[in-house]
Order: sequence, then C-alpha cells, then structure tokens
Amino acid sequence: MPPVVSIENLSLGFGDVTLFDGLNCDVKPGSILAVVGANGSGKSTFVKTLLGLQSPMNGRIEWPTGKPAEIGYLAQLTEFDRRFPIRVRDLAAMGAWQGFNPFAGLNKTTRNRVDAALEMAGILDLADQPLHTLSGGQLQRALFSRVIMQDAPLILLDEPFSAVDQYTEQHLLSVIETWQSEGRAVIMVLHDLSAVLDHCTHALLLGNGRASFGTANDILTSDRLVAQGYMSSSQASWMFRGQTNGGKR
Amino acid sequence: MFDLLSEMFNYAFMRRAFVVTTILSASVAPVGAFLVLRRLSLAGEAMAHAITPGVVIGFVTAGLSVMSLLFGGLIAGLGVAVLTAYLARNTILRSDASLASLYLIALAIGIFILSAAGSAVPLKSFLFGSILGVDDASMILVGGVATVTLVTFALILRPLIMSTCDPVFFESQVKRPWIVDQGFMFLLVLNLLAAFKTLGTLMAVGLMILPATAARYWSGTITAQLGLGFIFSLLSCWLGLTLSYVLPETPSGPAIVLVAGAIFVLSALFGPLGLRGRFSATKRP
Repeated sequence: MPPVVSIENLSLGFGDVTLFDGLNCDVKPGSILAVVGANGSGKSTFVKTLLGLQSPMNGRIEWPTGKPAEIGYLAQLTEFDRRFPIRVRDLAAMGAWQGFNPFAGLNKTTRNRVDAALEMAGILDLADQPLHTLSGGQLQRALFSRVIMQDAPLILLDEPFSAVDQYTEQHLLSVIETWQSEGRAVIMVLHDLSAVLDHCTHALLLGNGRASFGTANDILTSDRLVAQGYMSSSQASWMFRGQTNGGKR
Repeated sequence: MFDLLSEMFNYAFMRRAFVVTTILSASVAPVGAFLVLRRLSLAGEAMAHAITPGVVIGFVTAGLSVMSLLFGGLIAGLGVAVLTAYLARNTILRSDASLASLYLIALAIGIFILSAAGSAVPLKSFLFGSILGVDDASMILVGGVATVTLVTFALILRPLIMSTCDPVFFESQVKRPWIVDQGFMFLLVLNLLAAFKTLGTLMAVGLMILPATAARYWSGTITAQLGLGFIFSLLSCWLGLTLSYVLPETPSGPAIVLVAGAIFVLSALFGPLGLRGRFSATKRP
C-alpha cells in the first residue's frame, strides 16, 4: 500500500539554526506515528511543515496518492479563544466548513454527521452548551469531534492529551484507534512514552539535531532517548529498570 | 410624548438622521461584534484616530464632500492597518504596539493640518458629529457601506468566526488567511467613515463597541451576539437622537454613545454573563 506521505532528506530550522536534518520516513495508511522529543527539538515545527504552514530548509515532502484535500489537525490550545460565543456543535461543524453554502444554514446530512462526530467523541449530551462552560477534557473532546468532521486520510495531533484526565485520554485513544482501523494515518506529538509504546506503530524521536524514525519499540530505547537529549541517563535507567536488551521495552 | 415625536419628525433633517442611523446600526453591529470578539476593541478606537489625517487632507483639498472623506479616510486607515500588520510580522513589536505608534503619528499629522487650515474647519462637528450634516450624499455613503458590509459579512462570516476563535486551525485550512484579517480591517475603516458624519471621529467607535460589549453579557451564541448588538445599536441611535433633539446644544454623537453606555451598564449588572450571572473568569479560562 503506498504511503500517505513520504518524507525525503528533510531538514527543519529557522535562520541559522537547524533543528534536525536528514529525515527520511514514510507514513502509511493505518499507521500511528508518535513524534517524541525534548522541548524545542522541532516537534510542532514538523507538524506545521506537513500542513504547509512552514517551509523546510531542505528535502521534500511527497504525497504519493496525491495531496489530501483535507488534513485533520488539532493544534495546541495556546491561541484558542475559549470565551468565543459558539456552541459545541458549531465548533464540531467547523471541521467541514469548506463545503458550506455561505448564504444558508447546515443541511440535514451535515447536522447528522455533527451528531455522529459528537457521539464518537462522547459529548453528544453537551452539543448545545456554549464553549466557555466546558472543562479542559470536554473541550478536547469537542476539538476531536471537529477532527472527525474533517474526514481526512491524514490526521495531525499536537499534544492532544496535555490537559486531559486519564479517563478522557483513554477515550480519545480509542477514537484514534478507530481512525487507524478505518485506514487513516495519524501523526501525533506525545510526551507520554507508555502511551506511545502501547498505541503507536511508529515513532519519530527528535533531539540534539537528529531525527530517528522506525517502529516505536526500536526507536524508544534508553540509549537513544539519552543520546537525543530526551531524558538523563539516571531517568532512563529508572524508567527502563530490569531491562538488559539495550533499553528496549 | 406623541407631540414630541410628531414635532421631531416634522423636520426633514431628523427624519434623515433616524433613517441613516438605522441603516448605520445594521452595518456597524457585526463589525463591532467582531472587534470585541477579536480583542480589537481598543484597536477600533485607534483606527478611528488613524483615519483623521486622510479625512482632514480630503477636507482641506476638496472640501467636506463625501468622496474626499471616503478616499482620504480609506487611504489613511488602510495604510495604517497594512503597516501595522507588516511591522507586527517583521519586527519585534506586536500589533498593538505597532498600531499605537502609527495611529498617534497619524492623529498628530491630522491635528497639525487641521490647525494649520485655520477656522474654516467646523471642529466641533468634526469631533462629535452633527445630525444637521446628513445630506443626500451622506445617506448614499451610509447605504453603500451597509450594503458592502452585510454582503461581505455573509461571505466571510464562517472564516471570520474560525480565524477569531481558533486562528491556528484557520491558518491550517486556507492558503491566504490574511485576506480575512485585512478584509475585516477594510470593513472597519469603511464603517468608521460611514459613522463619521453623525457621530464624529471621537465617538464613531462608541456605536460599534458599546452595543457589542453589552450584547456579550446576554449571548452564548454568535447569532444572539450579532442580533442583540444590532438591537442595542438601534436603540442607542433612536434614543440618542431624541435626546439630542430635546437638548438642542447636545451634539448627536455623545448623546447616542451615552445611551449605548447606559445599556452597557444595565447589561453588565443584569446580563446572565455579567456581574450577577454565573460566569467567573477564575473558574473558567
């Protein structure tokens, strides 16, 4: 099966600063790629480059089956206005806005799709609530329902679990696994290594100017995590205690 | 009451003022709503000052005609808006600091030229507006601006909502996100110019911001925000004009804005998202 996106010899950075270079990787349908790395290693920059919001310093991003009309995207919530006066169902509907008639309301098919997306995200009962009444976890579910509405073959999630409790994280991970079973490719920036090892097929480890790509088990070894500045050797030896195979879990 | 109304509407200039402010309310209400929602309330005020040099140069060179006002104001307003965006994108200054610097320069230029032009300029009506100034050309200007504003809003409403609520997501969705931002600034300048004759440069923003902030205390949806903003704006104009008729020395601009201010205070006190409501910024971000 051809990859959704194929990355060749990619280098990212700003001005004179190179974040990493020489990245080669293919992301296939049905795979979940975790992007892991220390702060400032280029994780969000990598996601924004895939979206076309930033240009690479070098290398190419190829779309073997054609660039998707829609790329699902969940950004960090730094610039999101939680006091904006819309309801949860309006936020979800934003995911499909490109097809809307500017002079008309939503048709019945779209309204049904919105309900289905909210149901999948577990917040259909909150559909008519204004955004400012939501908790952090409920808002993240609402944003997931917008990604569901985007109906995209490639989905990019930037730290999707940073402000949610364990129960919500489990539910959202089950949504991501549904996407995987539907043959969508998911790329997500994560800090929780156990979630990466349990749920992601592949990992991209960024740090110290390098980018390592492979299966999650091959990449997230204590040796690599230390070498690429993700954790100290004492943290790694505690995390990988009792393992002797080079730090593989 | 009935006598007052019938006497007031005997005057053609009062009838014109009511018609023109009614149309103006429909036009400025959505602009005001998004100024507030985009956290640009003060930028709106700054932009009202920024158009001054264009309006003054237009006046000095071509007299107090609608076209000189429109072109002078548009060039000055859009010039400041584009330069602000350029400086914010390419230098260390954020857009609020860039706008503050540029509007102060523009305002100083405007007042400098205004003073140099001498007593020929009707300063009071320039600053505070005059209902007597509403001639045919002004009515056509306000009608034209309202048409352009409402059609443009219908076309860009959803992108505008997205770029306001979640700018990062919006940028990921469209190739040229700045079109919506600059398009909105264009509508702002256009509406400031339309409000200029009745409200004056100092008060033009009042009719945009106060009805919108008052509506914000009552509305949990964007539809309610836009609808209520229009109703409050309309009420402010009608009551304000009546007030300025009853008290003949009162300029129309401050009278209209004072009524809008009263609606704001009542909304802050009694609106469900106001002081007595359940909203608390400490409980929810």
